[in-house]
Amino acid sequence: MFKKADPIQSTRAEDFDYMKVNVPCQEGCPALTNVPAYIRAVYKNDFNLSYNINLEANLFPGVLGRICSRPCESKCRHGEKELGKPVNICYLKRAAADFRGRHVPLENPIHQSVSRKVAIVGAGPAGLAAARDLALSGLSVSVLEAMEKPGGMLRYGIPAFRLPRTILKEEIERILSLGIELTTGVRLGEEITLDGLLGDFNAVLLATGCYVPRQLNIPGERFDSVFSGLRFMMDLNAGQPPRVGKKVLVLGAGFTAFDCARSALRLGAPDVSICLRRTEEDLSVTREEVLEAKREGVRIESLMVAKTILGNGNIRGVEFIRTRPGLPGHGGKREITPIEGSEFILDADTVIVATGQGPEPLALKDKRAGEGMVTVDKGSFRSPVSGLYATGDYVTGPSTVIQAIAAGRNAAAAIFRDMTGRDFLERVVTIEDAVTTDRPRAWDFLPAREIPTLEPIRDRFGKKPKEVELGYPGEQAETESKRCYLCYLHYEIDIKRCIYCRYCIDVAPRDCIKLVKKIMTNENGAISGFEETTVWKEVNGIIIDNSRCIRCGACMEICPVECISVSKVQLTERTIGKSEEP
Amino acid sequence: MKEEHFIIIGMGPSGTQAAFTLRKQAPDARITVMSKDAERAFTPHMLPDYIAGKISEEDLYPYDPSTWDELDIHVRRGQRVTDVNPANGYLLLDHREVLRFAGLILAVGGRPQIPEPFLPYQNLMFTLKTVQDAKRWTRKLREVDSVLVIGGDLTSLAVTKAILHLEKRVFFLINKDAFWPLRYDKELMEEFSNRLSERGVEVIPSGRLKSLFREVNGKIGCQIDNRSLQVGMVGAFLGLAPDIRFLTRSGFSMDRGILVDEYLNTGFEGIYATGDCAQVYHPELRDYWVSIGYENAVTLGRIAAFNLAGCRVQAKVSGESIFKVREVNVNTSWWAEF
Amino acid sequence: MSITDITVEICGMSGDGTIAAGGLLNDALAEAGFSILAFDSYPAEIRGFGRCITRSRITGTEALALSDRTDVLISLDDKQSLSRIPILRENGAVLFDNHPPAFVPEGESIAAHVGTEMHLFGAPFGDLASGASGSLRGRNLAALGAFASLFGVPAESFHQAIQRKFESKGEAILDANLKCFDAGFEYGLKDLDDGSDGLPKLVGQAGPTEASLLSGNVAIARAALDAGISLYFGYPITPATPIMEYLAKELPKTGGKVVQMEDEIASIGAVLGSFYAGKRAMTATSGPGLALMTELITHGVMAEIPAVILDAQRGGPATGLPTKTEQSDLHAAVYGGPGDSPRIVLAPSNVLECYQFTLKSFQLAEKYQTPVILLTSFYLDNRVETLRLPSRNERDTEDWNVYPDEGSKGNYRRFKITESGISPRALPGAEGFVFTTTGLEHSEKGIPDYGADNHMQMSDKRHRKIAGALRDLAPPQEFLKSEKPALGVISWGPTFGTTLEAVEKAREQGFNVTALKITSLFPYHAEAIGRFMQRCKDILIPELNFQGQLADLIGHLHRKEVIRLNQVTGSPMGVGTILDKIRSIIG
Repeated sequence: MFKKADPIQSTRAEDFDYMKVNVPCQEGCPALTNVPAYIRAVYKNDFNLSYNINLEANLFPGVLGRICSRPCESKCRHGEKELGKPVNICYLKRAAADFRGRHVPLENPIHQSVSRKVAIVGAGPAGLAAARDLALSGLSVSVLEAMEKPGGMLRYGIPAFRLPRTILKEEIERILSLGIELTTGVRLGEEITLDGLLGDFNAVLLATGCYVPRQLNIPGERFDSVFSGLRFMMDLNAGQPPRVGKKVLVLGAGFTAFDCARSALRLGAPDVSICLRRTEEDLSVTREEVLEAKREGVRIESLMVAKTILGNGNIRGVEFIRTRPGLPGHGGKREITPIEGSEFILDADTVIVATGQGPEPLALKDKRAGEGMVTVDKGSFRSPVSGLYATGDYVTGPSTVIQAIAAGRNAAAAIFRDMTGRDFLERVVTIEDAVTTDRPRAWDFLPAREIPTLEPIRDRFGKKPKEVELGYPGEQAETESKRCYLCYLHYEIDIKRCIYCRYCIDVAPRDCIKLVKKIMTNENGAISGFEETTVWKEVNGIIIDNSRCIRCGACMEICPVECISVSKVQLTERTIGKSEEP
Repeated sequence: MKEEHFIIIGMGPSGTQAAFTLRKQAPDARITVMSKDAERAFTPHMLPDYIAGKISEEDLYPYDPSTWDELDIHVRRGQRVTDVNPANGYLLLDHREVLRFAGLILAVGGRPQIPEPFLPYQNLMFTLKTVQDAKRWTRKLREVDSVLVIGGDLTSLAVTKAILHLEKRVFFLINKDAFWPLRYDKELMEEFSNRLSERGVEVIPSGRLKSLFREVNGKIGCQIDNRSLQVGMVGAFLGLAPDIRFLTRSGFSMDRGILVDEYLNTGFEGIYATGDCAQVYHPELRDYWVSIGYENAVTLGRIAAFNLAGCRVQAKVSGESIFKVREVNVNTSWWAEF
Repeated sequence: MSITDITVEICGMSGDGTIAAGGLLNDALAEAGFSILAFDSYPAEIRGFGRCITRSRITGTEALALSDRTDVLISLDDKQSLSRIPILRENGAVLFDNHPPAFVPEGESIAAHVGTEMHLFGAPFGDLASGASGSLRGRNLAALGAFASLFGVPAESFHQAIQRKFESKGEAILDANLKCFDAGFEYGLKDLDDGSDGLPKLVGQAGPTEASLLSGNVAIARAALDAGISLYFGYPITPATPIMEYLAKELPKTGGKVVQMEDEIASIGAVLGSFYAGKRAMTATSGPGLALMTELITHGVMAEIPAVILDAQRGGPATGLPTKTEQSDLHAAVYGGPGDSPRIVLAPSNVLECYQFTLKSFQLAEKYQTPVILLTSFYLDNRVETLRLPSRNERDTEDWNVYPDEGSKGNYRRFKITESGISPRALPGAEGFVFTTTGLEHSEKGIPDYGADNHMQMSDKRHRKIAGALRDLAPPQEFLKSEKPALGVISWGPTFGTTLEAVEKAREQGFNVTALKITSLFPYHAEAIGRFMQRCKDILIPELNFQGQLADLIGHLHRKEVIRLNQVTGSPMGVGTILDKIRSIIG
């Protein structure tokens, strides 16, 4: 029917704008992972390709497939109110990692070598991401890490029952095998100095994260048996499990709080409660995390803020005061006000304060940096000191792993640009003809597959940490992958050939095809809206609203004049300039 | 449809009382009452008496079908609300009808809770919320001799009473989480325990249910700590969780229930919550509480309607009596009566 | 709890497959052993945009009429179905699509309109169909599936019906349809809680039966085939067209032919020609077509040529209301045409009688050498009933012609005046029997003759002949006989079924009322009718015409004015309407 034309690669602003609206999962990913493509690869059982698509964009498919905060899923079109649940994008990423067999690496050879050296301080997700990109771009990269092993929060913040150490090790080694030099056990300000690094390298990138626990500053915080959440996890993950008592209270609402609570259970505490200042509704951890925590026996109390930790040396309890939540404020979190006179006490013998961390101030002899923190320009990652950059949580405060990875990659691009005057990667929108819908409508009604978890619950506890989420078996992965609408498909009506029979509107599963009197475009030329009409006289066109379209293909099937075409539109990266064999 | 449209979600005692009151206070308004169950409005606290065989099914239904027509209140039974948009004043129904409202009262009540650790045994446990549930109890009780009641909430007591009336053997496993909104403490537990024992109930204080399974002979085997037990059926009364999951992402402040101020207002103009689903900070109790009991539900329903209609009435319930078991109080009379 | 009597309605917009669903429902339930009486209504325009409704009464006993109230409404299009709520029983059930493609404003879903006591059941027809077959087209079948599981009808009955309907369309289509039905059925089993006891169940069979499901039209066509017609001539007109369509498929198998003529005049001409030559033929039309045929019908009367004409009455006059039912062609059938032109006019009252009377009309036409007009109506033609057709009889194809004996050879008088008025008829080409036939007044030999005495005698002969047909026509039948009824209700056509049910109900309520069925409108049994009327204090004649045409015909037999109950709403008369009238008369 259509002769397949050659794919076009576009860098026009309107096409980038189109992608933002039309592939919401990709737009939602800080690293702009090509989600539909990797899900399609899972469907085709090409796990290697799926793994590589992820590897390119987010570096750690096995790790992220287990612990990512998955901002893509809340944007997934399949999760829109009347369409059901979002596709389990994250679990599919894990499936790609689980099933890929022997890894066949990316074809991307290392770019031609550039004789510049970069030092990266911190081997966490941000640092490793920057290292990978800079190494691929041809620079010589050295990573310096203060802890005994690389990984940062991935190793020291996240418990092994959520992220097995073997997976982490494997994926870090893959990155390092690009020729990155890693030195561990060296701390800034002790074994190495910033001034020294600035002297030896053309650029220094700080990616040291946030490791200074935030204090509540309440009486009793310094007692024994009061742990900071991060310290608790770090000690546990470093092989020095802390001692917990019989009744543990965890103060905090993030992943760390949940990790601490579940770890406390595994360390033998019979009674563990998480105490929230707001409510369960306001939690940012995933629903699955909350469910598993509850199933393991963690209790969640809400609307309370700790005032005093009671005891003397040994803790006997915590005094709380009730809070009243208000409307969501800046940043989306609800205001909370303590309610006078509502104090009460909960018994406890162990308290974990998991209310977040901040970055560590660094000593710099160079007067230009000033005392304490290094501040950087958001877009260029440059600090006032020439050659000094910073990225990741160190700059933004605690964020998520995927955000840190994206920040690392963006910093690498900025550094390369500063050093060579050009970019080595660019993003393009690839447009190619597609002939079919690629998937039958019936797949839209497949229910979301839950991930199997380790049962019975008591098997999760024991000397050796056991992974709780077990990953999809192959069949389930395939079934779940069918649910993706493949939003990279783009359906378009050729208005010149349309006869306005409106059969397409009749068979449309929702209000995705519209009769319009006006189509509005933004300053880049992308469609930004339309004025619908039901009055025949006013109709000037008919349009498929790609933000509502679920790519079922019914319109194309029924069109009697075959004026509806489908193309595949993907946002990808490509290298610019020459590359050479490693 | 020019007149104001008021919607009440929930046809339990709170919702129906709100409807009647609203009709009196706003005679010209259009009023719709909705319930996700297809059943007629019934009196929940009488279900245990029905189970005991003391009353007939018809006695459970206080309102004649013509009541609604006479009051010109539109009833939508078996129609579920899936989303409320408080900022823009409309709600979405399961079958995708969009209803706009000028005022809304949420009286959705609570659902018998099965906390996560008990989820694997869900299918083996009987709960009690609707008339259908009560019929299931009645049918099953005819076949068995003994019942394990896991609970601590007020319903568990009433049902235990009913089972004793039918001369069956009762084992009672006290679960401290089931007492919410009462705060569980040792004193309360002992009082509770004694009352039950006086009646011939075998009380198992705060044991952990390790497992539940169906035996070959059809009975239910229970493993509680180190003790094994075989009973004919198991009833779970682990508290009523306000049935508000459909309001997630709607913008309401919610904890266990919908958080409201002392006027039962949710923070959005014209939108109130009442009955078992509303959670309010009670200055006398110095804590959050959710109303429990039939009388409270009815009173709160009335108050919410008054406030929606423009009056300013505070929700006041004397807090002390709810907690002190020894004192008789009309609001919780059947507790004391036990 | 098994029940005996419910009415199910399916309502949708054209294009929703409403009528097809209704057909499958009837077929499946007949398969399951129930008695069915069903009637659809749909828009008049070809590929019209409008409301389609199928109504099926499903009982374990005999269904006499459609009920006034519906028990179950299946909505394939809420906007159209809204108008059917008032006819739904107060605690009736509504089954609707609870997951339409887009959000609808308040009031546009049928859920906004169900009464407080009605049971509302939702199933996502569209999604189920899409999920099962990839397209929305099967949503009517998904709806049937949900209905079947909700009411305890075994899926197998529907499977068989679906098989019969779609097997000719290929494996893929049959499969898709079965899948859609099954998806609805599964959903009903899993997700529809029929909870309350107020819901009637169709569990259990009425009993194994060899009954088939037939519409009036099909019964008529079958009778024509069984009568051994050789030819059918016709011109399409609602509601008689299905007869021609059916015969077009079946008649050639027996060696016969169906010819679509250029108009109704040509049709009746050809029928007369066929019978003249000794072969049975037939034509079917409606009011406007009958009007066109009038002159040639009287030609048949004058020339004493047999003909069988079916008039499927519809709303009139003129083009009228093509898809609505009426009984207003009585005058036209009995009296239409120039001159004194008596002919036989019959009116079947149910589908079985459609069959029986059609067969009979060939026999009567031949014996009495006259056009016979069968009066049915849109309602009866399209109404579907379960019934046991009489088995085919060899003798049905035997002709009832009265042949001349050999003695009159050479001296044959075609129009010989006899005591009965029937002149033995030789067929053209019979050796030794030469004769002429003409529409002009003629002598015994068939030669035009305008003499005064001749015309008197011939008129007398023809009238005597037709009057004599009474001995071959079933007399009016009395039902629920009573010695001295306070009220006798006389009706004809399908209105009789409704009348009988109303009279039954009235008797249960203690009213002294009885019913009389008239099936031969001309000649009519004046004596028998007169005797009946004598016994009744009052007479009520309900009919679907404005003037009271039967009342006009036989009213004079009563000692005082008969009470007329006239309705021309386009719909069949309701049992309640007649019952209310009875009550108001007897008080």
